[in-house]
Amino acid sequence: MGLLSNLKKIFTGKKPEEPEAAPEPVTVPEPVTVPKARPEAKPAVKPGDVKVEKKPEIHEKEEKPVAEKITIGHVHMSGCTGCLVSLADNYEGLFTLLDNYADLNYCLTLADVRDIPKMDVALVEGSVCINDHHSVEDIKKARRNATIVVALGSCAAYGNITRFARGGQWNQPQHENYVPIGDLINVDIYLPACPPSPESIRNVAVMAYLLLRGTDEQKELAAAYLKPLMDLAQRGTEACGCDLIYDVINQGLCMGCGTCVATCPVRAISMECGKPNIDRDLCIKCGACYAQCPRSFFNFDVMNQFEAIGEVIDAAMGKGDE
Amino acid sequence: MVLGNYKNCVSARAADPAVLSASQDGGIVTQLFAFALEEGIIDGAVVAGPGDEPYKPEPIVATTVAELMEARGTRYTICPNVAMIKEATRSYGLDKVGIVGTPCQIQAVRKAQLYPMGMRSVGDKIALAIGIFCMENFPYQGLETMVEDLCNVKMESAVKMDIGKGKFSVYTSRGAVSQIPLKLTHKFEQPGCHVCLDYVANLADVSTGSVGSPDGWSTVLTRTKKGETIWGKAIEAGYFETKPIEDVKPGLGLLTKLATEKITKNQKTLDERATFGVDKGLRNPYI
Amino acid sequence: MSKVVEISPTTRHEGHTKLTMQVDDSGVVTRGDWLSLTPVRGIEKLAIGKSMHQAPKISSRVCGICPIAHTLAGTEAMEASIGCIIPDDAYLLRVILQCANRVSSHALHNILSLPDMYIPGTDTHINPFTPEEPVRSVAQRIQKLREVGQTVGEIVGGEPIHPSNPRVGGMYKNISPRAQTKINDLVKEAIPLARDHMDFMISVFKDWDDRPMASVAGGKEVEKTEKFGFHDQGYMASDTLYGSSSLDLDQKWYPERWTEVRPWDWYQGELEVSLEDPDYPIGGTTPVGTKVWPAMEACTGVPLYDGAPIETGPRARLAMFRNYDRKGAMGLQIARQMEYMDCLYGMLDAVEALDTNGKVIADDIPQGDGTLGWAANEAPRGTDIHLTKVLNGKVQWYSLLVPTTWNFPTVSRALEGAPWQLTEVIMRAYDPCVSCATHMMVVDDSKKVVAQKLFQ
Repeated sequence: MGLLSNLKKIFTGKKPEEPEAAPEPVTVPEPVTVPKARPEAKPAVKPGDVKVEKKPEIHEKEEKPVAEKITIGHVHMSGCTGCLVSLADNYEGLFTLLDNYADLNYCLTLADVRDIPKMDVALVEGSVCINDHHSVEDIKKARRNATIVVALGSCAAYGNITRFARGGQWNQPQHENYVPIGDLINVDIYLPACPPSPESIRNVAVMAYLLLRGTDEQKELAAAYLKPLMDLAQRGTEACGCDLIYDVINQGLCMGCGTCVATCPVRAISMECGKPNIDRDLCIKCGACYAQCPRSFFNFDVMNQFEAIGEVIDAAMGKGDE
Repeated sequence: MVLGNYKNCVSARAADPAVLSASQDGGIVTQLFAFALEEGIIDGAVVAGPGDEPYKPEPIVATTVAELMEARGTRYTICPNVAMIKEATRSYGLDKVGIVGTPCQIQAVRKAQLYPMGMRSVGDKIALAIGIFCMENFPYQGLETMVEDLCNVKMESAVKMDIGKGKFSVYTSRGAVSQIPLKLTHKFEQPGCHVCLDYVANLADVSTGSVGSPDGWSTVLTRTKKGETIWGKAIEAGYFETKPIEDVKPGLGLLTKLATEKITKNQKTLDERATFGVDKGLRNPYI
Repeated sequence: MSKVVEISPTTRHEGHTKLTMQVDDSGVVTRGDWLSLTPVRGIEKLAIGKSMHQAPKISSRVCGICPIAHTLAGTEAMEASIGCIIPDDAYLLRVILQCANRVSSHALHNILSLPDMYIPGTDTHINPFTPEEPVRSVAQRIQKLREVGQTVGEIVGGEPIHPSNPRVGGMYKNISPRAQTKINDLVKEAIPLARDHMDFMISVFKDWDDRPMASVAGGKEVEKTEKFGFHDQGYMASDTLYGSSSLDLDQKWYPERWTEVRPWDWYQGELEVSLEDPDYPIGGTTPVGTKVWPAMEACTGVPLYDGAPIETGPRARLAMFRNYDRKGAMGLQIARQMEYMDCLYGMLDAVEALDTNGKVIADDIPQGDGTLGWAANEAPRGTDIHLTKVLNGKVQWYSLLVPTTWNFPTVSRALEGAPWQLTEVIMRAYDPCVSCATHMMVVDDSKKVVAQKLFQ
């Protein structure tokens, strides 16, 4: 219970002691050190059109414990931009995130920065076409330049529909081979689903902010929250509806709650004899069913505090009742 | 801690005799959802509705009291209520959803709220999650065997099933009661239940079940602000009769005892699973 | 003397593209190529052998901005091939989805366009993310319109991004009366917002058109040229709102008019960059001396209609069906804003006509005999045509002619005569969505097969 005992104060309460500026989080793996390939290093200019001025007066009632935002970049590999649209589907919450917690310092779809800069968090969408050297360079650069790499969505995490790719299509028939980013770089956090919900992206963004800029207590909360998503990143880069079979039903863990049915984005799952049946002709290998299953991971330390954490996130987003 | 965090605990039953008539115990779930529906606290609720076969429930989205009434009573088999949670917010068009579920189903709901990867626009719409006490559950084929082969009752004839006082009881439409010792039912339990560490739906807004209260009454635990508020309003509106849990028998002692038994037994199962093979174990979802 | 300049990658649109241009001494484009660099995931090839039910789910994932268009075009192409007529109420649900997606997509595109525009009456570029007024209110209105579109997408489609409810044969589920009312209310809430927003956006684009000088966000102001972003190509559209398919009695898209050429016949050959602007926002243009080869690098084919590039999209729809005639980049932008109201009223009509008790799945869903079927869907960015042959429930052949693929060569022509520093403004006017635009080249033989089959 100590973990979250002072949760309320985190966002809504009085100003706690100013934390040190962005120490390296202990729980997050260091970015892989790769010899500096290119010394080009353009200064990480803030994009004119995404720069959000510090503007305290609007949210005056909420004294935020920390002033410095984190930087988040969206790195688009071979994906469909649906994950980015999902981020944007936080609607007004998108502005709250950008006003208070994160500068979007790279995102080809929304901003004019053309080269991958240094950033705290890289949200990588899409798998990597290993036959396209630009893509391979970009994913390596994203790893080098980011403290935390998040596989945003199922293509980055597991390949998703690009698992079925086999080339042969003009005008680049040699674009045959697509791999999840975790096959080429170390990934810190997995956020699977096709696409991951707006709320889940928001939660990870807020927790990443706490992890990188928070007090010790906030870091502890964020680390606990993010741990299962970090474990997912360690679990491997393959996913399929069959994971429910292998890792839940066969393991004697399924209790037939039906979460997977609700989760599946292509309606490939139905309940038969109280257990999920996967229509493998429909499954797109997004891994959402397994990730969402309460018997894939269930961390009591976080889950038992669901009400308080929900309030923290609401408060962070300016939605709290109190 | 075996009873989880809770704010208040009472023994209660529905004030409406129509609700009580075919309810399992105190008619808490039906009455509380009916109240929430009438007050606009929820637009509808995911409940275990009647399925195609007797005692084989299907999750439904009930948006009227009449539909709730159809779903009264415990069916001792799995009803995948969480499967409907997203659809309730989609084609049904609900903005405030109630859901009733076993402890594991409420866990699923909370995970869907805290880690909503594949649960877009669901978490914010959960307006009331009622959890029911649960020792374990039976797959339909297991229940069918227990009722038809062990109790010698056709599923069609059963009007109520009940577990209590060490027995599994089936009541028939002709007034007969057929009972078997609970120990005969163990082999039919769902294996997935044996790793469950939650007896009283620790993560629900309101948890309820018969254990701890006299016959015809249910024990009710309010756990969250939301649960506390809604329960308080329902009491104020006269929807329930209540008694302090301290004044009833067998009371919280029994609830604590059973919860402890379940958790101890299943923790042991988890420990055994860790060394199930030779230098190999079965997966533990909690680590 | 002509110089070569390249903006790579371009920004504020979906996918990876670049602009490789030859410019004269005053920096005006004399020959421009806009080409896709997005790796080709090969959706058309990976769908082969898959079930006809899965293929549209895969093609939805071509694009997360217009997934509904791709789902519907894909599903309806399958239905066209197997000869399945869906119930009316399923069709109405699809119309609602279609409108919802267009509202949401157009609104998102406003965010991408605004940074090049100015707050009318000032020289300040609009940063849609600034908390300052009056911009914040506009941005909130955009998000509100998106929210309405996406919420309707959730209700009717199951999910707004990659809808799960549409299926070959109709829809999995009809909606409840409560959901029907909710959609009605949402749309009515959006109508006044959309009207104000349309007026605002049109005034912003007209303001840009009237300026003698302009810049892209953060860039250097340069003199604009007459007829900025004009081209002489024709238009292609199959409907104002929804689309057409090979099952229609009165078909509005004509496969026999479609030809496809290869990029190396179309794009420029090997070039060396000879003009560079390190100050072009943000990060500069491609360095002098870089070797580029658009014909080899392009990731899309070049589809032609009647042997020439055409424009597809909002302006094409309004030009073909409503005699709209404003040309240039801003003419297209204005046309897009004019579609808001039609989408909302279209949604209202469809939701009112819907019978929530109606059947939404066809009684008979044939497995297909390999007949070619096509469906043209009027996606936010233009006509999205999927063609397929289904045999025994499996996809034998699948082809996607998506809007941005059609627009690539047209945009390349529209660049000519514009100062190179403003060419991204032209490209962005087309609301490019490039991940989709990775289309298989159809060799001449199979093209003939397409045409013959349809005429038989």
